[in-house]
Amino acid sequence: MIISVASGKGGTGKTTVAVSFALAARYCQFIDYDVEAPNADIFLKPDIKNIKKVSIKQPYFLTDTGNDFSKCAEFCHYNAIAVIGSEVIFYPELCHGCGGCLLVGPEGAVREKDVVVGEVAKGFTTPGIDFLKGNLIPGSMRTTTLQNELEKMLNKSGLVIIDAPPGNSCSMVMSVKNSDYCILVTEPTPYGFNDLLISMEVLEGLKVPYGVIINRDGVGDSAIEDYCTERNIRVHLKIPNDIEIAKIYSQGGTLLDYDSSYGEKFGIILKVIERISIGEADNHN
Amino acid sequence: MKGKTVKICITSTGTSLDSNVDPRFGRCPYFIIYDTDTDTFEAINNASRQAMGGAGIQAGQLIASKNVSAVITGNFGPNAFRVLQTAGIKTYSRVSGTVKDAIEKYRNSQLTETSAPDVTSHYGVGRSN
Repeated sequence: MIISVASGKGGTGKTTVAVSFALAARYCQFIDYDVEAPNADIFLKPDIKNIKKVSIKQPYFLTDTGNDFSKCAEFCHYNAIAVIGSEVIFYPELCHGCGGCLLVGPEGAVREKDVVVGEVAKGFTTPGIDFLKGNLIPGSMRTTTLQNELEKMLNKSGLVIIDAPPGNSCSMVMSVKNSDYCILVTEPTPYGFNDLLISMEVLEGLKVPYGVIINRDGVGDSAIEDYCTERNIRVHLKIPNDIEIAKIYSQGGTLLDYDSSYGEKFGIILKVIERISIGEADNHN
Repeated sequence: MKGKTVKICITSTGTSLDSNVDPRFGRCPYFIIYDTDTDTFEAINNASRQAMGGAGIQAGQLIASKNVSAVITGNFGPNAFRVLQTAGIKTYSRVSGTVKDAIEKYRNSQLTETSAPDVTSHYGVGRSN
């Protein structure tokens, strides 16, 4: 079973919640899909043993052959190639590595080379958490390339917890699309509410069932809860707005360090999700 | 390219000479291609303004194909700037006011050439007047 933890608004507590699930489950695979800013390792403290470089294909142009490369520029949907007379300007940061310029360009005059965009790291945390994360090279746009690499390493035979990147764009879709269930973490503020609605729309489009966890309960208003009650959307948990949680977090501690009963609370949520996904429970309050 | 080109390009908010100079190169609504010899012009719709990325690169190639000798705008991004430099097109930035005024200033040599990009990539994304 794959459970992803996502949030439209950043900083609502995705990693806090995802880590709590992993610690409650004790035996699972944990994947940090936020390859632009992975941070779950700070809390799970895995023993990283295996690092694999990830590269993409990037074209280069043999301009001294005297060929006309204008077809490459015309074809490139991402405008990564400019052709001015006999000169070719290539913008690697815009290239998606599709290889189209090789197909439409002068035969043999467009070549490809491997360019490293990041790495995938594998580790282990006791008692039984297989940890995975991606590290994108700063400045690289190839977020989903790295996520594809993580996807290949998904171990669907057991429980998988995915910590998604913030937002609702491609990288979030990549993180949640294979899930059996998605937990949307939010905070009870207008900003949190607005971005939660966008996340819900994305998940409905992907047909991924979801529930909500409200973090920093006590700030803002009750608009999210009211909305969820009205629409029969399950609110699994409310985490209080307590400065102690922030203090422990800032030292690399977890919600279970704050209050060990959270281990049990997240264990119960896991059981509920399992029952929902096998159809024994309805996915609403 | 044949002969000495007398055409210049001005980024514009509209299709007439009374329109304002648009501050963005890659994502301006229109390019006014003005012939300084015959005093005629055409307004080209900038299809690149909707590009997800690389608007300046695409627009730069379009303008290069129009055989102009100079481009007048508010700001150039680094990618577009490189395309125009490679094409040997003179670049004038930090220009505002109407297109007509900009052409007058150009004629009277009141504009100074830009030697470097004015703004970073994606400056023109989501901006409007």
